[in-house]
Amino acid sequence: MNQRNKILKEVLIITLVSLIIGLIVNSVNPKGIPLVRDDSDRFKIDSASVQGSENKQVEKVKTKEGFVKPQNIPVETAKKLFDENVIFIDGREDFEFKEGHIKGAINIPYKEFYPKSPEEKQKMLGDIGKEKTIVSYCGGDDCEISIDNAYEMAKIGYDDVKIYIGGYREWNELGYPVNK
Amino acid sequence: MNKILTNKYFLFLLRLILGVVFIYASLDKLYNQEEFSRAIYNYKFFPEIFINIFAIVVPYLEIICGILIITGIYLRGSSLIITLMLFFFIIALTQAYIRGLDISCGCFSLETVSNKSDILQRIIEDILLIIASIIVFIQSIKSKTINNKEKVNE
Repeated sequence: MNQRNKILKEVLIITLVSLIIGLIVNSVNPKGIPLVRDDSDRFKIDSASVQGSENKQVEKVKTKEGFVKPQNIPVETAKKLFDENVIFIDGREDFEFKEGHIKGAINIPYKEFYPKSPEEKQKMLGDIGKEKTIVSYCGGDDCEISIDNAYEMAKIGYDDVKIYIGGYREWNELGYPVNK
Repeated sequence: MNKILTNKYFLFLLRLILGVVFIYASLDKLYNQEEFSRAIYNYKFFPEIFINIFAIVVPYLEIICGILIITGIYLRGSSLIITLMLFFFIIALTQAYIRGLDISCGCFSLETVSNKSDILQRIIEDILLIIASIIVFIQSIKSKTINNKEKVNE
């Protein structure tokens, strides 16, 4: 067997062993992940949320990690919540926030928020109570930090976090109140 | 220079560094695969269908190659896999770095690498590591070839 074949054989054996061990451990590990990542519902509007703020009565879904799953909401619901003076949190960076944001929103940049400890995260959120409804948003529907930010908040115990998928772009286009 | 590169203690040091780095890097990923899968997803580099398989296999590939490269078992195979992995990491990081410079919507979030200077530092580290792994790979082929010739001569 020439050298190239031997190297190839070694590579194949190592890869196969890793694959087999990985698959076996993943299947018995309670924290194991599905073989194919499914993000198809990441941006999908939660149909139960369309009724607006009454959806507080909507059953809260818990993730397997034990926190309440944030809910994706459409612009109508976001506007209703805005009119009810619900807190809006903008996950974009400081300079983007300054260029324009939903009126009265608080800037919690995801990049700064994510690496912090739960205590520091709570500090960044100030005195916002855990039971309060929070609407997380970012640039627009191709932007994911609204989702990531919402999950970070849910993980530290906020149990009514909504994600306004349409984001600042849609809000601004509809002529809803903004600060510029 | 050639003397240094073929010096067995120097080569062992390189193998030790590579092995320790790869074993260490795998531990966190093994502990939190979901987060690793998210991190890969955020690089927007791999086709979605392969992301989780990648997240399941790569940590074991790293830990096994790390152990093999230190112990010297399957040295050619393990150093080649490490070189290839580093090559992919460098490409993924570089495209993240380049795209990161164009952020205007704040849409891009990297969980493991939080800012541009971190990405640049990681790229430089990986380039140093790939140089080391290429040296180990080439020397492992050469020493095998020499051993084989010696065997033939005997």
